[in-house]
Amino acid sequence: MKGAFTYLLLPHFWSSRNRGRRREPGDLTRGLLFGGVALAVFAALFWGAFWLTWQLDDYDELGDYLLRLGLSWLFMTFLAFLTFSGIVTALSTFFLSEDLRLLLAAPVAARRLFYARFARTVVQSSWMVVIFLAPVLMGVGLARCAPISFYLTSVLTVVPFAVIPVAVGTACTLLLVNVFPARRARDLLMLMGLLFAGSLVILLRMMRPEQLMRAESLPDVTGFFATLQSPVTPLLPSFWAGEMLFASLKGGWDLVHTGALWTTAFAFSVVLRAADERWHFAGYSRSQEAPKARFTKLRSLDLIVRVLPWSPVRRQLLVKDLKVFMRDVSQWSQLLLLLALVLIYLYNFRVLDLQHIPYMSGFIKNIYAFVNLGMAGFVLATVAARFVFPAVSAEGPAFWIIRTSPISMHDFLWSKFWTGLVPVLVLTEGLTIAANELLGVDPFLKVVAACAVVFLSFALVGLATGLGARYPRFTAENPSQVAGSYGGVAFMILAVLLIIVIIVLLGWPSTTYLIYKLRRMPIGTGRLTMMAASFLAAAVLSISTWLMGMRSGVRALVAMSD
Amino acid sequence: MIALHDLVKQYGTFTAVDGITLDVKPGEIHGFLGPNGAGKTTTLRMIAGLLKPTSGRVVVNGHDIATEPELAKASLGFIPDRPFIYEKLTAGEFLRFHGGLYGLEGGGVTGRVTEMLDLFELRRWEHELVESFSHGMKQRLVMCAAFLHRPQAVAVDEPMVGLDPRGARLIKDIFRRMSERGVAILMSTHTLEVAQEMCQRISIILKGKIIAQGTVDDVKRMAGGGDDHLTSVFLKLTGGSALQEIDEIV
Repeated sequence: MKGAFTYLLLPHFWSSRNRGRRREPGDLTRGLLFGGVALAVFAALFWGAFWLTWQLDDYDELGDYLLRLGLSWLFMTFLAFLTFSGIVTALSTFFLSEDLRLLLAAPVAARRLFYARFARTVVQSSWMVVIFLAPVLMGVGLARCAPISFYLTSVLTVVPFAVIPVAVGTACTLLLVNVFPARRARDLLMLMGLLFAGSLVILLRMMRPEQLMRAESLPDVTGFFATLQSPVTPLLPSFWAGEMLFASLKGGWDLVHTGALWTTAFAFSVVLRAADERWHFAGYSRSQEAPKARFTKLRSLDLIVRVLPWSPVRRQLLVKDLKVFMRDVSQWSQLLLLLALVLIYLYNFRVLDLQHIPYMSGFIKNIYAFVNLGMAGFVLATVAARFVFPAVSAEGPAFWIIRTSPISMHDFLWSKFWTGLVPVLVLTEGLTIAANELLGVDPFLKVVAACAVVFLSFALVGLATGLGARYPRFTAENPSQVAGSYGGVAFMILAVLLIIVIIVLLGWPSTTYLIYKLRRMPIGTGRLTMMAASFLAAAVLSISTWLMGMRSGVRALVAMSD
Repeated sequence: MIALHDLVKQYGTFTAVDGITLDVKPGEIHGFLGPNGAGKTTTLRMIAGLLKPTSGRVVVNGHDIATEPELAKASLGFIPDRPFIYEKLTAGEFLRFHGGLYGLEGGGVTGRVTEMLDLFELRRWEHELVESFSHGMKQRLVMCAAFLHRPQAVAVDEPMVGLDPRGARLIKDIFRRMSERGVAILMSTHTLEVAQEMCQRISIILKGKIIAQGTVDDVKRMAGGGDDHLTSVFLKLTGGSALQEIDEIV
């Protein structure tokens, strides 16, 4: 047992067991929350797959063909995802993981360590794919009344299918780490991944799906299928997986593709093991060498901040926060991706020929301004959850510096608030104004939306800062972990509720105004008062959320010091 | 027992360890002294097999760490300056896992774990999660783990940091007893009193090179001092600090 590679995985199992045994406050709520969301996603995926397969059943051979193609393309998407996920995960499990310091100093054979690390890499890289595939394949199987062997085949397909791309990804990491130091390689990968995702979105955009709205430009079916076929496809594991599952769905057994999938997975693992035994230690050793490979002085930042009419304490906090942010590639690169998505969103309005889309003209177009406000609100909430909520936690183990310095928690938290507010406000206000301009909505609505974004920005940034201080996670390895914590999820739920309430409070008086304007009727004093009250309620709700969030955060920080 | 032959480690153009040759005999406690950034930790990490030397050899108990890493590591107990412990394991679980890595099996492991926990006064916390331990307790737990498999050689980086006087005294006694039983100990430390009190021989490293080696008296003679305290000798050899400026700055 102790000679088996699985022994090296024991601490992770024991840790999970111990974590499960010792419940912390909020665990039940968190479990219910995440469990509920997971169940909803599972049900949606199952229902979607079931419905689609059911519909395709009506088209006989064409339906079968599309299903077969769909399975192959589904696995093709996962192939790319798993390869990239394998690269990133292997970097952590094989080279940057803290427990390697313990394991590499012990007399553990390189081969044994490799198998333990590779098993961990495969599981960590592919669990999301497996969770996604489970309801989809169940939906497909049930819609086609598949035999039990289909579900067994699904398991036999997914295991080698996950191993192959993860092995390729791990091999890339091995190569990369032996060329660049691991910490530098991680930054490069982060950037590469985001550029990959960004270019994928831009590529989809460049396909101009809006043309599909015109019947005359729809591609013919033959041409469509021709583009989906490629001479390389049958050589990929995704194709083999699709074929295996399709054969099993029909009650058969595709031995050729099963063999291809399993032998490839086995061969890749053996070759990777040999490469790992040869180059792992050299790569690990290099990964210890250059923790400070890059350095950005950002002197101009000091000069810019110096002119701000703030106290030296607030100025220094701002400089520190900005420098930490800009030196961490994983931080600002995500912002770049978000900006790219926002630009594509705006570009959509630019290319859409609104006059020729019946449901986008006149009154409805103005209503769409509220959908746009909702979108801006969600962007705002996401940015606040990802960048503002973790602001206090980001102090990490260095929070003692703040706690022991002569700065009040009130000043500290308000400094975090203003640092977060300015970029968030500029981003969402810009997005709203530009989108409404491109939509050509009524000037009154433009003003309402612009004002709403100001109030929402204050409310959501205040709430994120306050809740971030109330539920800090100083030990988190990165801000994404903080954003995904109990407090982060609670913030997102509250933020979404607030956005919905604000949109309702603004929507009713605004539509009333538009209806009266359209009918060219004067608005009565009673109705006008009600409308003003509704606007006022939205403003009061935003301001109270902002101030209460901040006050709660300051109190929590003060209590922490006590 | 621990032999370093012309050991070199370069980080790009920077040479952290520059041709160190050292031999720690069985039963010897060897002090490895030097200012911050001199190359002590890098050397110890190469001995433990955590860093690949640019050139040179590390031999532990007759086994070259490059060619026979498992045999060399099985003979060594390594106590790093920043040890890793699984925070969500209990002290007992961590030690049993660690024992397994060194091939300890069966009922003997439990007995040995209890013995070590008793020795390092951690028995009460055997079933507590490591995350609740103080720095000193974690340090003692790491030592438990390092000595669990009865190593023939020990490489230890700053063993006294974070320990209270009682803990420090305990460690000193344990090291002495181990040395009496023939275990070779290479100990990096900043606490010169500890080195003077415990080490049969010392090496002083500066900018990656060993600038003095021998018994404490040998090193004092090399520095040209007579009855000087080791601290004065250390400062003379490593350059010391501009003490005259302190008043002005403070």
